Amino acid sequence: MWTTIAQIMPYAVAYTIPLLIVALGGLYSERSGVVNIGLEGLMVVGSFCSALTISLLYPIWPHASVWMGLLAAIAGGALFSMLHAFASITLQANQVISGTAINMLAGSVTVFFSRTLTGSGNIQIVSGLGRDDIPLLKSIPVLGKLFFTQTYATTWLVLGILLAASYVLYKTPFGLRLRACGEHPHAADAAGISIFRIRYIAVAVSGAFSGLGGAIILVTYSGEFSGTVSGLGFLALAALIFGQWKPLGILGATFFFGFATTVSNVSQAIPALSIIPGVILKTFPYVVTLLALILFSKSSQAPRAAGEPFEHGKR
Amino acid sequence: MYKKKLMLVLALMLVIALLASCGGATGAGKLKVGMVTDAGTIDDKSFNQGTWEGVVKAGKDYKLETQYLKPTGTTQADYTKEMGNLYDSGYRMIVCPGFKFETAVFEAQDKYKDAKFVLIDGSPNNGKFDDTRVAKVGTNTVAIFFAEHESGFLAGVAAAVQLKEGDVGFIGGMEIPAVQKFNWGFQQGVNYANANYATKITIKAENVIYQGTFSEMAAGQQLAAQMYDKGVKAIFAAAGGVGVGVINEAKTRAGAGKEAWVVGVDVDQYSQGIYTGDKSIILTSAMKQLGQAAISMVKAELDGKFPGGQTLTFNAANDGVGIPASNPNLSSDAQAKAKEVLAKMKKGDIKVSDVQGSLIK
Repeated sequence: MWTTIAQIMPYAVAYTIPLLIVALGGLYSERSGVVNIGLEGLMVVGSFCSALTISLLYPIWPHASVWMGLLAAIAGGALFSMLHAFASITLQANQVISGTAINMLAGSVTVFFSRTLTGSGNIQIVSGLGRDDIPLLKSIPVLGKLFFTQTYATTWLVLGILLAASYVLYKTPFGLRLRACGEHPHAADAAGISIFRIRYIAVAVSGAFSGLGGAIILVTYSGEFSGTVSGLGFLALAALIFGQWKPLGILGATFFFGFATTVSNVSQAIPALSIIPGVILKTFPYVVTLLALILFSKSSQAPRAAGEPFEHGKR
Repeated sequence: MYKKKLMLVLALMLVIALLASCGGATGAGKLKVGMVTDAGTIDDKSFNQGTWEGVVKAGKDYKLETQYLKPTGTTQADYTKEMGNLYDSGYRMIVCPGFKFETAVFEAQDKYKDAKFVLIDGSPNNGKFDDTRVAKVGTNTVAIFFAEHESGFLAGVAAAVQLKEGDVGFIGGMEIPAVQKFNWGFQQGVNYANANYATKITIKAENVIYQGTFSEMAAGQQLAAQMYDKGVKAIFAAAGGVGVGVINEAKTRAGAGKEAWVVGVDVDQYSQGIYTGDKSIILTSAMKQLGQAAISMVKAELDGKFPGGQTLTFNAANDGVGIPASNPNLSSDAQAKAKEVLAKMKKGDIKVSDVQGSLIK
């Protein structure tokens, strides 16, 4: 049992990290009062931007190209999310519809540009990130083997962002204003806060984080942009709800998804797990989510103003 | 009054022009060759792309119009719709790459009598597996099969001779005949090398896996990581998008200086496996000459010799399957042994079984 878990853990963590950063992006957007179901599309945009950047830069700059790709994904995601912000904040459109449009647009536009720019709808990168053991920490008993071996640099980057993001959300004036916008925008407005500005920033953050998430998938486990992230954006959204719109909550929820999915993926290769039918392992995380959502539905703490466009005149 | 007449004349002219143009499109013009893609995209560097490149090449060589359509899903209805769309726009030869087209072609071959269908990796049937099963290759259809087991056999021999000893594994996509035959052939090839060339390669049952899809890259990467962690040296990945994940994992490991090889599938995947400079983790590839199959069918149709109603097999004997002629990762010894085996296969001295028998999965 122990060896099995130790064997799976590094890959489960690697799978969790993109989910975590995307869910964190969703958290910023929703806590400011803008529902963003366009996370999936924003991830695709990030994946595309980084794949293109890396494949262009690799010949001249092989080592730095991966990191430039991640930066490009952050910028691309933030920029693309402005479409959602403009539609749902300035124009006060229905946020769910705008998000759906982002999802549909992203999948097609990226493949179109990929075809016209590179001649193929799939962009492969020559080399992504390597995995390293963390010196010293890896020799801690139990934990060292689980969390400090075979890690990607992006894992630590994302965990750092998680810490910083929760600090900003709970300990700074900006964070307080952002949460106020999501709970009671008219009170915030009366206190002199620009709801539009805060919400624009929050949506940009969600775009940047989703873009980063899409790019991390590319440089860690997939290695190829193919116009889709196979539903991980929606899974991140589910993790956001499952985690009750709280940073630590989503850390737990995404890790749960990441671990359960990894177990079901690798179960065939591990004799100890292959006795459990694959169907059960594959559906397990979703069944648990459904049950959890039903159980928590009464006490669910969604930001009160999420999904409502802000109008000055309305009280 | 005059104006009204003029209008009438103009309207009549329009109708005639329309009719004339219709006649032109469906008339005895040049053959137009269409293709409907299977699951995945046209640039999957594998099944769809291999076939499509053949269609495009044939189009260039014989100056024909070519076009592909991508169905929105992978159900029979999705396929039938796109075939209908191609037919309606004048495409009279439709190439369908994939086992999943069997039922759609079964219907279409009777519905569109004057169109020719090329079904790769399958044979038209009504999809039933009981007494009501009807299988028929229509007179306007040709079913093409590849001897994947022979291709896998050659790759197995080459890989075994190259690696000499250790574990190898197999990751397949869906458990369908074409993928299974690759697996069984590969195992027989490894066994043959063990028996005849004194190699010590083992394949454990736990390292022979069908992932279940052709699309889940993450699962491919994670499965491959588990196998390599357990000491497997090379993985034969016959799994479409899942294989992309396998190749990516091998690249990560090779980049860190560890030993990890992949045996590619369908097309020569060497360039996909490059991780630095011109070094690739693709040991060799078990190829199917998909493009060649498409080209030869177009040529046959143009010569008026379309083998309608027949089931063709592309195998080692007619160079329809095999491994790439050269691969920098194989020693000259491994390449020579593979050539030797190919020659024996052509003569019929080596028979590769396309059923499971005592093999794994």
